[in-house]
Amino acid sequence: MGKLFEKFPDPLARLIVVVAALFALGAFAYFVLIPKPVKDVEMQWADAIKREKARPVKYAGFHVCEECHGEIQKKKQTGYHKDLSCETCHGPAKAHTENPDKVKPAIPTARTFCPQCHAFNPSRPRGFPQINPVAHNPLKPCSSCHNPHDPKPPTTPKECSACHGEIARMKAVSHHVQLECTVCHVAPQQHKVSPRSVKPSKPQVREFCGKCHGKDAKEKLAANAPKIDMGEHGEKYVCWQCHYPHSPEVEQ
Amino acid sequence: MNPETMHSLQELLPQIQGYIYPNEIEIHWGLLIVVYPYITGVVAGAFILASLVKVFNVKEVQPLYRLSLLTALAYLLVAPMALVSHLGHAERFYEILLTPQTSSAMAMFGFVYAWYLMAVLLLEIWFVHRTDMIDMAERNTGATRLLYRALSLFSKDKGERAVAFDHKALKVITIVGIPSAFLLHGYVGFIFGSIKANPWWSSVLIPIVFLFSAIVSGIALVVLLYLIITPLTGGKINMKCVDKAVDFLFYAVIVDFSLEMVDFIHRVYQSEEEIKILSEMVMNKLFASLIIVQVLLGMLVPLLLISLTKIFKKRFSLNEDMRKMVYFISVILIQFGIFATRWNVVIGGQMFSKSFRGLTTYKMEFGGIEGLFYAILLLALPIIILAVLLKILPPWKELREEGEAGAEAAGI
Repeated sequence: MGKLFEKFPDPLARLIVVVAALFALGAFAYFVLIPKPVKDVEMQWADAIKREKARPVKYAGFHVCEECHGEIQKKKQTGYHKDLSCETCHGPAKAHTENPDKVKPAIPTARTFCPQCHAFNPSRPRGFPQINPVAHNPLKPCSSCHNPHDPKPPTTPKECSACHGEIARMKAVSHHVQLECTVCHVAPQQHKVSPRSVKPSKPQVREFCGKCHGKDAKEKLAANAPKIDMGEHGEKYVCWQCHYPHSPEVEQ
Repeated sequence: MNPETMHSLQELLPQIQGYIYPNEIEIHWGLLIVVYPYITGVVAGAFILASLVKVFNVKEVQPLYRLSLLTALAYLLVAPMALVSHLGHAERFYEILLTPQTSSAMAMFGFVYAWYLMAVLLLEIWFVHRTDMIDMAERNTGATRLLYRALSLFSKDKGERAVAFDHKALKVITIVGIPSAFLLHGYVGFIFGSIKANPWWSSVLIPIVFLFSAIVSGIALVVLLYLIITPLTGGKINMKCVDKAVDFLFYAVIVDFSLEMVDFIHRVYQSEEEIKILSEMVMNKLFASLIIVQVLLGMLVPLLLISLTKIFKKRFSLNEDMRKMVYFISVILIQFGIFATRWNVVIGGQMFSKSFRGLTTYKMEFGGIEGLFYAILLLALPIIILAVLLKILPPWKELREEGEAGAEAAGI
């Protein structure tokens, strides 16, 4: 120690001692005081895996369901619910597979259950079947009309709004409220069966909107509709490339 | 859903504009994360002011040297508190020390911070005050004496060799300290700038803009403290020193302002897909804090005020009180401006939806760990720490030396 102070200037020697002491203290804490599992990530991983493995298994997986309920599974595979697992609705069923007679999985019948996915919500994709749970056949359990293993509407809905609720609600407060969907769209019957593969038409020519909005439109309904000169307005674009027909803005 | 969440949702939902994703309604980085870059900025800025004296030999600002070092230390001690508190379990802070993590950019702050605290600030402050502490230990008795003995690491050597080493070490530390200060605050900017999913943050200019705004806030704060503390302790404000410091502040504000304008013009010219929602955010949600407080009150008005003292030099050079007042107002405005800058970066970056189709809103709480009250406490804490530091390591001699010398020269 004395040598250190002779060799170096006083402040430097003191700092060397302090820094050395800090390092020694740090090393002592790190190597001696801190238990190994705190430092070793691999050990922590191993512990986490052990912990997770020790937890009881609750779900059986749909392959196990298939062994006894093959028919239902087959039916489900062709329907709209084909991507849902059995346990999505029936809950964890491991206990049921081990003791089929005593433990029965839940059959959700409450009217609050299906609307978790099927209540109207504007953020859901268009065409996804959505209903208003208050207005849609009140008090009846969903499964009294729909078979959840092959969900199809018991009768094909007549109204487009059954699936296109968002558009219907928007149109209802727009200037186009009086126009039926079929005025502009032609929906083939097949669209109601496989909505995604057969799609309704959209107007493809400017003259279509011109029937009401052209300068010399003769359509009765269009007496008060804003009029434009089809020759000058909008160049080559189809009208709906700029205007949204379900809620057309009016700029005077 | 618990009633509390329900209640806050009911309040927030009507204030949303357009479409946002469901997880964007809550702003996760709140007021504490605004406080954190503000505080580290002050640290870096105050240190740069100190280095003006030691490295760049600007003798006029010598009276501010120790004050700015102690300010930097006081603020540095509080900087990580905002972060650790924000994580929700401040009592587990020691776990950071037990499990050092080198693969996460955020965890690197621990190393940057430790380096800056231990290898730069504490060392520099120790070397600056070593002989003073020996003197204090000699003058005092009892516990105070023991405190100073311990602080000086029981050093008693005031010999030539030791003092010469002090000076040499100070020079080296300050030179190492400048890149370290840049690293400390550049790091904060880097964290924001490297979040590439967020167009409001993701910019290579952000670390540099952060650096210059840090220098601005640090210098402004030390000048403010000097203007307040000196008269309170019965000293005379050395206007030569303040003039010089404000000079540097003026240039720093100009560079900071230009950089921010470059960033702004660059964004507008690039006009990427997010520009529409960002401009809507700036014109609506951030109008008061960005256009009014940050740009107008925080930059343009102080620039105008300080340049008035330069344009009408003759009139102002005669009237010191007038100049003091202009400076005082300017540095206060700059503090608010820089705090608004941090606010706009942190909160602004979370206000627009990643769908670029809507804006959410930030509702500040008053109580609680993320609330206004706690943030004000954190902002007041460095001042309290600074008061203690000033008591232990008084810089009065230095603060007044020039003032008295100036007064003597004037024949008072």
